[in-house]
Amino acid sequence: MTGRKIPGDWHSGSIPENVLIGDGAYVQTSYSFHLCRSKMAAAVVLGESSSVYIGCMFDMGPHAVFNVGAFTLLNGLWLICDQVVTIGTHCLLSWNVVIMDNFRAAEDVPSRRRMLEAFAATRDQQLIAPIKPRPVVIGNNVWIGFDCCILPGVHIGDGSIIGARSVVNEDIPAHCIAAGNPARVIRALRETEDSGDR
Amino acid sequence: MRTEAEGWMEAWDGGTLPAGVQVGEDTRIIGTAAFRRFRGQAPDALVIGDHATMDGVQFSVGPEGRIKIGKFCCFTSAVLMCELSICIGSYVLIGWNTVIADSDFHPISPAERIVDAVACSPAAGAPARPKVQRVEVVIGDDVWIGPNATIFKGVHIGNGAWIGPGSVVTRDVPAGTTVAGNPARVVEAL
Repeated sequence: MTGRKIPGDWHSGSIPENVLIGDGAYVQTSYSFHLCRSKMAAAVVLGESSSVYIGCMFDMGPHAVFNVGAFTLLNGLWLICDQVVTIGTHCLLSWNVVIMDNFRAAEDVPSRRRMLEAFAATRDQQLIAPIKPRPVVIGNNVWIGFDCCILPGVHIGDGSIIGARSVVNEDIPAHCIAAGNPARVIRALRETEDSGDR
Repeated sequence: MRTEAEGWMEAWDGGTLPAGVQVGEDTRIIGTAAFRRFRGQAPDALVIGDHATMDGVQFSVGPEGRIKIGKFCCFTSAVLMCELSICIGSYVLIGWNTVIADSDFHPISPAERIVDAVACSPAAGAPARPKVQRVEVVIGDDVWIGPNATIFKGVHIGNGAWIGPGSVVTRDVPAGTTVAGNPARVVEAL
């Protein structure tokens, strides 16, 4: 893969050709794609004016697709994606947020051992787990605080806020604040909530 | 056991391993931060078995610390903070940004913490610090630890346990169970 270089990039790599970058979108370093093994034609789609800052790491399997909406800001997202993860428009994701569409670990011990032995033998930098991914969908205008984990199969509705260090293992409805480990809805948000900023 | 980085896919800095580090056959340590906070003095301050992958792991080992890791382990961007002993079995998988600590690092007592803050200050000239609690952490074989988890001092995790992403583990985890949450509790499955 010939790829594309980013001017001033600290990493010597380049952005893979199957990363589609929308008008005005920003990628800080090609290192974020160091573990992107997707063979899909549109593996990563970065919407108009979206941004991928340093600290993001997209660990993607051969069939993985990652969609990022317009004006969405990823400030250090750790992604494990083997099927599909979709993030809407105008989302704000803080540092060390983990989103995974599968756990990359077989449920039984003998399979986990085989997986680790295969990993050591191939050094492919990627664990191959015999499990079915469950797609993750983040709506539009969602704000996710730092150190959160969004687990496989989760859907988060439009306009919601996930408090820092939350672990989201169930769907979160639109327009609410959820927090905790496991995350629970704390209160609803009105579309035109008064932030109290004066 | 080897003590040199020669022939590795990607050494932490391309140099030799610090004294007290013993690494098994086909085991790889990747990343520049591996030994930035390594101050271990024991001859076995860090012992890693065969076929392990330590990618972006930080071995923050104090003067008396000892870390032992079995074979076929795969840790990515984990932080191991060891002042006494962290003992990890074989076939253990640890995800991104997980922290394991066997110490509180500072005293619980408010008065002693003032002494510690002064001792840690740049003006102090590195005097002796108050004693802090240290309790061994033991992690069995075949344990899976998700990303962003925290394992605190004194915790024993039984063989085959499954620690959910973001868990804060303050108590022992029975073998074969799945735990999640803060504080981590046994759950059916994730």
